[in-house]
Amino acid sequence: MKRKNISYLISLSVSIVLALAIGALVLALTGYSPARAYGEMLRGTFSNARHIGDTLEYAMVLCICALACIVGAKAGIFNVGGEGQLLLGAIVAAQIGVVLKGHSAWLAIPCAILGAMAMGAAYAFIPGILKVKLKVSEVITTIMLNTVAVYICQYLAKGPWKNPNNNIVAGTGNLPKAFWLGKLTPGSNLSTGIFLSAAVAFFVWYVLKKTAAGYEIRLTGQNPRFAFFAGMKTDRIVLLSMLVSGAMCGLVGMLRVYGAEHIFKSSVSNDYYFEGLMVAMIARYEPVTAIAMSLLFAVLKIGAAGMELNAKVPNQIYLIIQTLVIFFMAAEGGVRSAIARRLEARRKAKEVRANA
Amino acid sequence: MPESIIRFDHVSMAFPGVLANDDISLEIRRGEVFALVGENGAGKSTLMNILYGIYEPTEGEVYIRGERVTEHTPRAAIAAGVGMVHQHFKLVPSFTVAQNIVLSREPRRAGIFFDDRKAMALTRELCEEYGLQVDPEAEVRDLGVGEQQRVEILKALYRGADILILDEPTAVLTPQETDELFAVLRRIVREKNMTVILITHKLYEVMAISDRVGILRQGKLVGVEETKNVTQASLASLMVGREVLFDRLEREGTPGESAIVVEHLFVSDSRGLPAVRGVSLSVRAGEVLGIAAIEGNGQSELLEAVCGLRKPDSGKVLVCGADVTGRDPGAVRGAGLAHIPEDRLRTGVSEEASISDNLLTGRQRDKRFLRFGFHLKADAVRQYTKELYERYDVRSGGIETPAGDMSGGNLQKIVVAREFSFDTPALVIAQPTRGVDIGASEFIHERIMEKRNHGCAILLSSADLDEVLRLSDRIITLYEGAVTGEFEAGAVTREQLGYYMTGDRTQEAANET
Repeated sequence: MKRKNISYLISLSVSIVLALAIGALVLALTGYSPARAYGEMLRGTFSNARHIGDTLEYAMVLCICALACIVGAKAGIFNVGGEGQLLLGAIVAAQIGVVLKGHSAWLAIPCAILGAMAMGAAYAFIPGILKVKLKVSEVITTIMLNTVAVYICQYLAKGPWKNPNNNIVAGTGNLPKAFWLGKLTPGSNLSTGIFLSAAVAFFVWYVLKKTAAGYEIRLTGQNPRFAFFAGMKTDRIVLLSMLVSGAMCGLVGMLRVYGAEHIFKSSVSNDYYFEGLMVAMIARYEPVTAIAMSLLFAVLKIGAAGMELNAKVPNQIYLIIQTLVIFFMAAEGGVRSAIARRLEARRKAKEVRANA
Repeated sequence: MPESIIRFDHVSMAFPGVLANDDISLEIRRGEVFALVGENGAGKSTLMNILYGIYEPTEGEVYIRGERVTEHTPRAAIAAGVGMVHQHFKLVPSFTVAQNIVLSREPRRAGIFFDDRKAMALTRELCEEYGLQVDPEAEVRDLGVGEQQRVEILKALYRGADILILDEPTAVLTPQETDELFAVLRRIVREKNMTVILITHKLYEVMAISDRVGILRQGKLVGVEETKNVTQASLASLMVGREVLFDRLEREGTPGESAIVVEHLFVSDSRGLPAVRGVSLSVRAGEVLGIAAIEGNGQSELLEAVCGLRKPDSGKVLVCGADVTGRDPGAVRGAGLAHIPEDRLRTGVSEEASISDNLLTGRQRDKRFLRFGFHLKADAVRQYTKELYERYDVRSGGIETPAGDMSGGNLQKIVVAREFSFDTPALVIAQPTRGVDIGASEFIHERIMEKRNHGCAILLSSADLDEVLRLSDRIITLYEGAVTGEFEAGAVTREQLGYYMTGDRTQEAANET
């Protein structure tokens, strides 16, 4: 197991280096210095506390989104609707903050957390119950519900829950300063919310890997007929996993509002769940790999600003490089396992014969 | 000296932890029926998959018609005239027979459009040429297993195969269908000078049809014999490496209370058509009730309904006195019934999960494996599953191997080990040894008899009549979802059972007396 992880890290690094090399070629061809551009990317991520904070905050968002996807995927339900659950969770949390203005943060923040998670779970319940009871494909229902959620939020942010300040066209009321999560690094988006996120990440890993419930989730995802045959309440397991997935997405929305934006507006999420989904897929639904991968994605994303501002590399070129890296990481898995299988077979043949 | 058509030259094939083929050199001659026998995991299928290009051998060379095989793909094998009929058919259920046969080499009009009429005509021609009867216009999903197999054979012939590999072709056939298949094989060998390679572990079939037989044991070729020079007993001992005695199974004790009771049960199949029509039966503690029926006569649906996998339309199912009609499998298990399902890959295991995980299933909430009521104690689980793994003599690369990497016989041992470990007062067992080798079959039969002697009520169904006869105390025959007869196992012959399995004979019996 350990050796497998190490070989995975090595081959992953190789594929990233390859992608960056091709990226360098693209930069050189378009007339930019690759060395300077990559230098600015790293400086944009690590040069000061603010940059590091932003990187970590983004990694946290990706990580919880990815884990939310994994919780569902392990049970055999693919939640593509995290974006909608996130947005609704965010707007509910934001409005709770507005309504509870004047009360203690000790009341407001837990209420916002619970409210956002309940909202996310409730929104995930719809595709979940349709899948379990009527065998409706959750992929289609969740994608459609994303769109519905976007417009519900827009309607609320422009209508009933609109910010009294007329300069803000689509946004909920300002979150009272008392409810803002504490900043860990000045000027960045990184808040104390990361501790809650870390706890959630640990919880997900622990449940999936170490508990009887995780075992049941895994078996249900692998072969639902077998799990049912063995006496598990598979419908309930699938539905519960979906609810947990939705609740986690709702929580991300709350953290974005209370930790970074301090208001609900469209920049609360920029398809963050879909990036998390990609992280989950590249990590092959393994929680620990997903956590590491989220950091890498965050470096690429936040580094973009540095490259664009200081090395003057156009956004489009940068996006090409970023996509190349993701592309190479995704392709890496297939190539590596093909090579590993062959090597392993050769080695075992020798070993078995030597022992015989 | 007959012409050699296939030659394996020092072929070895290694999988993680297993050397499936170990230095095999073998020649197969044109125009013979060559039987390849061996226990499960002996490497028969692997060797044939190499010939068919699915695997590339780790070492050694394969020659077809004297030419060294350089490209190890099914496409190249087909081009070289090799056809293979797999154990699990690879047909498209919603396509017609003709469409399935011409698939990948469709006749076309104007180079683009599928020419259905031509496909039908080609199929009819093929059927006539080889004397195989199938309706080209029928959809494959409506065909019986025997007919589907014929379609597979025709498909190989359509692609120009003159070397035909059949992987355990009779595992799913009735005795009558087996006879028909063998007649066809004999004809194509005699009239078309084809070469047939038959993978099997039913030794009487080897005797019935083959010219020569190769015996594999633990990946090694331990003998190649002219069939006329061997006996079933000598083959069996070559296969397992020791004398095999089919002892009479010891029976002890007297039957007790009824533990499984079925009353007037009606069940529909997956298409909503009636499959079980008013079956009533009861199995007492310490008794094996065998169901003898040709596939598709409601036995699968009956057992699924008893175990909670399928909801009955009406009637009653009682397990140890508790009414479990229409309850889910968890509730039925709770009432005291464990179940070995007929389709072990689809229902009996998770292929992705490790052997250990598969052995644990159903016990993941046992107090002894839990800390604080939710934390699974990895050490305790490992210790328990390892013990079970060893007690049932499972052979593979250890308890962390994914179940999907195992051979059928070992997989079945996993299912049996797990289901028997629950020590339930009632058991439903379907196809206990389908696709399982002699050694493992014997082992499983002994365990079943042990359960019976300890007072377990066992409802058994098997496509293998000999198995039903050997294990059962009483036997019922099913035909089109209804019970057509009930017999004491000692007082009935294969032929009598066969008679009741093919129709409702109550009327005739009444007339005779």
